[in-house]
Amino acid sequence: MAATGPKKRRGCLGCSFPVLVIVVIVGLAILVIGFMAGPLGKSIIGDIGLPSWLSVPAPEPHLPAPALFHIFGLPITNTILAGWLTVVVLVLVSWLITRRLKVVPGRLQSVFEFVLGWIFDLCKSIAGEVNGRRFFPFVCTIFLFVLFNAWLSLVPGFGSITYGEHELIRGANTDANTPLAIAIASFVFVAFFGLKTFGISWLRQYFNFGPFFHSLGQIFRGKINIMNIFSGAVGIFVGGLELLSMFIRIISFTFRLFGNMTAGEILLLIAAFLVPWVLALPFYGLELLIGLVQALIFSGLTLVFATMAVASHEHESH
Amino acid sequence: MDAEAVKALAAGLAIGLGALGPGIGIGILGYGAMQGLARNPEARGPIQTNMILAIALAEAIGIYALIVAIILALIA
Repeated sequence: MAATGPKKRRGCLGCSFPVLVIVVIVGLAILVIGFMAGPLGKSIIGDIGLPSWLSVPAPEPHLPAPALFHIFGLPITNTILAGWLTVVVLVLVSWLITRRLKVVPGRLQSVFEFVLGWIFDLCKSIAGEVNGRRFFPFVCTIFLFVLFNAWLSLVPGFGSITYGEHELIRGANTDANTPLAIAIASFVFVAFFGLKTFGISWLRQYFNFGPFFHSLGQIFRGKINIMNIFSGAVGIFVGGLELLSMFIRIISFTFRLFGNMTAGEILLLIAAFLVPWVLALPFYGLELLIGLVQALIFSGLTLVFATMAVASHEHESH
Repeated sequence: MDAEAVKALAAGLAIGLGALGPGIGIGILGYGAMQGLARNPEARGPIQTNMILAIALAEAIGIYALIVAIILALIA
């Protein structure tokens, strides 16, 4: 116990002992009632006739997002709505913060200054001073979108508003299409900076036909060198592997984010179904952490691949 | 065995076997990070960041198995 004050305060966790005891008793009572009302308790100790509104209906997850309505023939799903909501929230928050910038920041401004400064330092430490400055806007956009998306889906009431028979909004990354879109955007970003730095010769690491045909051409000049032909063929094969690994990278990006978000949502639903009310709370904390880590992973890996694309291949390949 | 039993068995096996590899991988990662921390406590920040990054990479493989298990158990 911290006894730094002039008067020794009794208590724990900021409450005095009677309040703490009441809070613990109420929490335990809710836990026990929830346990007995849920299907887990019913199967262990039998149905003791608790009212049915205490229990939560079984979750029915559908992995493809259902289309709510159509605009000009384009299906608008609930995950798209959540993506738009995220964008609106981000724009509103940044407008609120940058409307009156102060030299001595207020609370909200200092939080965002800390977050952006942290990502900026990360970019500079991984990609170097110049490239970090160039990569920062895109990397930070991915980070903020994924983070706000994950955390907005944890706001109570987010998934409970229904439209027709489906939820009106559902976390945008629980549909495989949104992570795929971000992954393709990140792939284009990496390819753009690779091409900008090395020109068309950046593609040579993927389509490495030059040495092979060069050594084939040497045959007609009468110089037969089997080792050159062989190493040229190996170069083509390695380039094909690089190309394949680039597409595998897109798939891996997509399913990492999609899987984490979907699994988190289903985990929360099932926890709330098994023991209503209380069991979902620790998983909420876990989901907060997972949202942050996934946002960091997605933007960090984009940053690392972009750094590898602008680094000289001559140095790393030997 | 009827189809339902096979489906339940397949879902359990998918996540059970799929969690095996990432579990071992995360264990090795934590071992390395702890050892690095014990030898060089000043390097706490970079070690922690890189450990979390690598753990998330290993965990993604478990998540693939989880998706397969969810599809088998709830949807297919």
